[in-house]
Amino acid sequence: MVSASGRLLEGFRKWYYNAAGFNKLGLMRDDTLYENDDVKAALKRLPENAYNERLFRIKRALDLSMKQQILPEEQWVKYEEDKKYLEPYLKEVIRERLEREEWDKK
Amino acid sequence: INNSYHWPTKPIRHLCLMKLWISTTHLLSFLQTITGIFLAMHYSPDISLAFSSVVHITRDVQYGWLIRNMHANGASLFFMCIYLHIGRGIYYGSYLYKETWNTGITLLLLTMATAFVGYVLPWGQMSFWGATVITNLLSAIPYVGDTLVQWIWGGFSVDNATLTRFFTFHFLLPFTIMGLTMMHLLFLHETGSNNPTGLNSNTDKIPFHPYFSYKDLLGLILNTSLPTDPSHYSSLTYCETPTTLHQPTLYPPHHMLNQNDTSYSPMQSYDQSQTNQEEYSLYNSPFSYYFKYLPYMHQNNEQPQFRPLTQILFWSLIANLLVLNMNRSATSCKIHSSSSDQYPLFFYFSKFYQSLYLLQVHSKT
Repeated sequence: MVSASGRLLEGFRKWYYNAAGFNKLGLMRDDTLYENDDVKAALKRLPENAYNERLFRIKRALDLSMKQQILPEEQWVKYEEDKKYLEPYLKEVIRERLEREEWDKK
Repeated sequence: INNSYHWPTKPIRHLCLMKLWISTTHLLSFLQTITGIFLAMHYSPDISLAFSSVVHITRDVQYGWLIRNMHANGASLFFMCIYLHIGRGIYYGSYLYKETWNTGITLLLLTMATAFVGYVLPWGQMSFWGATVITNLLSAIPYVGDTLVQWIWGGFSVDNATLTRFFTFHFLLPFTIMGLTMMHLLFLHETGSNNPTGLNSNTDKIPFHPYFSYKDLLGLILNTSLPTDPSHYSSLTYCETPTTLHQPTLYPPHHMLNQNDTSYSPMQSYDQSQTNQEEYSLYNSPFSYYFKYLPYMHQNNEQPQFRPLTQILFWSLIANLLVLNMNRSATSCKIHSSSSDQYPLFFYFSKFYQSLYLLQVHSKT
């Protein structure tokens, strides 16, 4: 029962990921995050190659969006291949900010 | 890198219809000011002269009919462009630029106020009763409501004092709007514009000329051709009480409940189905708070255009607004049955709470 509901949820997540549409522009989920202060700080901590790859994907997506086009299906980012590359750095930045705010309250 | 350095250049993806609305709005505001100044040269803000001065403008002044109709229809076109501009802002998450968004909300309220006081000036039946109904809404405020309404009226009913001060406000507010528009653009240039992907486009920009200069020229051509289209000056439908009846009666006739003014579209539908002012004011507050607090309800980093649930909510809101407008401009002259207006209105007001719920739940997925 538990595994069936888990498979169902995973299937819904996969469907939702494709319905969102950013994978058709060659973007990963972390590419679409709105750049607030936390995300900006996390981006500064990215390794150079990860940052350059992100810039390439963004530039390609902006160009496709301008031309009202999407990538061929074989180039769409798959749900299984999507890497949350920014998440560890973002969590670290948020943790540090909260800790700083706690200290400032004292 | 300071983002304001980039403002002379814009991302090429702005070359789409979305940006046409606001350049059209700017040109329309200029047209409204010019036509308004020419109207003010011949208009008299006195209850015994106002109506006949508008007739004089329409009949006797050289091209007065054109100036008057451009001003009246231009106001409707102005609001249509603004609603499209706001809809674009909601769909693509432009409300995340909080200062720009908040000045925009203030601009919307000022524009609605300007349109309202301007509608009173011809001093027709619609003018008088519209002024009476809308100003009476303030009486819903506890304790000071009635006093406030009489203070605004300048007397114990909508009369000459009200007309003269409304003329003053109608002349003054557009210049306030112009100043606030400059603030709106100033805040926008701090961040740079949004784009359909919601991505940071600082690495990929193009110069203003020739791309946007030519595109704004297109807006100018459309903007000057649409208000001069003679099909906009046809006689009113049989459902409307024309403003040509300038002797106000004691009570508003029932057939006046239908009108074709786009300024306050969903609210007027509600107005026709409710008689309780306190209820109306209470339910009206989520409408204004929805737009004002939209940036603060967005609790995660995800872009709304890549979230299917948010898209469904947005398009159901648009469909709901269209239903409300359809109910208002229906060809039947009968008084609207309460259910045909109240169900769409309930759905409309519940959007506020739906958004809160969806935005909070969605952030965890």
